Amino acid sequence: MPNEIHVPSRREAIRAQVQSGGGLAAVFPYHPPRALLRAHGLLPVEVWGPPGRSSSRGDAHLQPYTCSLVRAGLSFLLEGGLDQARVVLVPHGCDSLQGLGSVLLDFVKPAPPVLTCYLPRGDRALDRAFLADELRELDARLAAALGTRPDEAALLAAVEREERADQALGELLEGRARVGLGEEAFYRLVRSREYLPAEDFAALAGRALAAPAASARPARTPLVVSGLVPEPMALLSVLEAAGATVTGDDLACSGRRRYRPTQGPEPFARMSEGMLSGPPDSTRGASVEARLQHLRQLARAAGARGVVFLTLKFCEPELYYLPQLREGLAQDGVRALSLEVDLAEALPAPLVTRLEAFVETLR
Amino acid sequence: MTLAALGIDVGSTATKLVGVTAAGDIAWRRLAPTAPRIEAQAEALLAEARAQPGGERAPTVATGYGRKLVASATRALTEITCHARGVYRRTGRAGTLVDIGGQDSKVILIGAQGQVLHFVMNDKCAAGTGRFLEVTAGRLQLPVAEMGDMARAATAEVPISSTCTVFAESEIVSLLARGTPVEHVVRGLHRALVHRVTSLVRSLGPRPPYFLSGGVAHNAAVAAFLGEALGAPVERAEEPQLMGAYGAALSALEP
Repeated sequence: MPNEIHVPSRREAIRAQVQSGGGLAAVFPYHPPRALLRAHGLLPVEVWGPPGRSSSRGDAHLQPYTCSLVRAGLSFLLEGGLDQARVVLVPHGCDSLQGLGSVLLDFVKPAPPVLTCYLPRGDRALDRAFLADELRELDARLAAALGTRPDEAALLAAVEREERADQALGELLEGRARVGLGEEAFYRLVRSREYLPAEDFAALAGRALAAPAASARPARTPLVVSGLVPEPMALLSVLEAAGATVTGDDLACSGRRRYRPTQGPEPFARMSEGMLSGPPDSTRGASVEARLQHLRQLARAAGARGVVFLTLKFCEPELYYLPQLREGLAQDGVRALSLEVDLAEALPAPLVTRLEAFVETLR
Repeated sequence: MTLAALGIDVGSTATKLVGVTAAGDIAWRRLAPTAPRIEAQAEALLAEARAQPGGERAPTVATGYGRKLVASATRALTEITCHARGVYRRTGRAGTLVDIGGQDSKVILIGAQGQVLHFVMNDKCAAGTGRFLEVTAGRLQLPVAEMGDMARAATAEVPISSTCTVFAESEIVSLLARGTPVEHVVRGLHRALVHRVTSLVRSLGPRPPYFLSGGVAHNAAVAAFLGEALGAPVERAEEPQLMGAYGAALSALEP
């Protein structure tokens, strides 16, 4: 039965990697070059917070208008949470993350080498070429830091492993109705893509999808969830208890990572093409029109009449789009609810009321 | 009259219980300050309701912030849905409902069929809620129930610039220390509360007619000042504090 599937925790995945003699890369969101890191023998473990912990140590280094994802991540690093990592990678996903990269390089200077990587804000040939060059540069810096030099065959093998995992993620999200897990358990499975080796994640997703079809659940109100990350995860259980189910995913940590498979002999070109092939994304500078069109399609395909936007306070890339997205969705009769969360905080009761009331309006 | 359904609204300040007939008319009501042991209080009140004719088998819907603690309720619904349902049943009209409760305030857009079209909540601070008046009444040593009349009767007002309840309390202390008449302060406090609520209403766009429910609707000054700010009269629902429980009872009538 699917609900018997054990999803290893971050801690378990880290322990397994260390015990097997492999290294770890602590990776900040949003689009990490997982294949490149794996080819260098590192398991990329993404740092989304972690949630529910005080961010006060990080606060001392950052402007008060920095989002809680960056504040919590920096606090975790200062508390020694990333000490096991061989490298810390901060992709330039937004200004706050770029600021974090600068703070780490110039002031905090943690023990593991800190590497940064610029993500272009488009998907033109020029952008793909730029990113491929960035990845080659990152490859050289990894080689200098670790003494590893994966050859082209190893890089291509890593690319293909990640592409199989990306495909598995897509199938999992598409096959949501067939997987007999509750909302929170389903997303624990989906989010294990953030830290499991690609081949382990693909196998886990395959088992979940191949398990006997779940007995029919009572009719639920379908919803699309957008934003960065479904934190606090208890939000998903609230949705489930209210009679809703997530049938469309536009989250930066999951749905916006449905990268397309690539082809060709050159690994960096394939990595670049894949990383820029995901759905329209605020952190990659997609137009409002493209974001709206994507959400409309998701809502239609999911049969959803509501979209829940989970935003982090001060997350400018996401908040920038919200007014026009809400307006555009309303024209289609799709309602929107925006919930602002702070990764350091537990689930506030008024937020539960808003979520439940929203589901009630969709019945 | 025989009770066909019950609705219980466990609010932060008061717990309200309503029994309705099969036709949806209120036939029985109770209101009590919310006790710290919510489960026990809710069940005691429900036991009283269930002792009424028909009450024993009446389905029960719970609402309010303590809705999930009512163990014997058939189901729970949010106060947003319930207030809208109660007020729509009373007025029969679409419009904008402002519900100012003890610890939050909500603006609910009601559609032509009584459905909730949209809502916003002020749920991150006490400004614009009944708690704002309670706290400031405590500082002024005034009964909350008398503040509305005092505010309306005042011939002048002082602006209260702090939107935060705690800072507003400090501001009151400063004003009183400067000799500002209490009634001018009270009028200013009401204006500040209404200013906060008005910004919530405007965030949904002006869609009259406007209705007011929740415990603060008993305060005539709030309705009057809100009407001035919105440029349209604000109708206070009959038995405004019971509208959540009433809407819950009406929901309990549905299969």
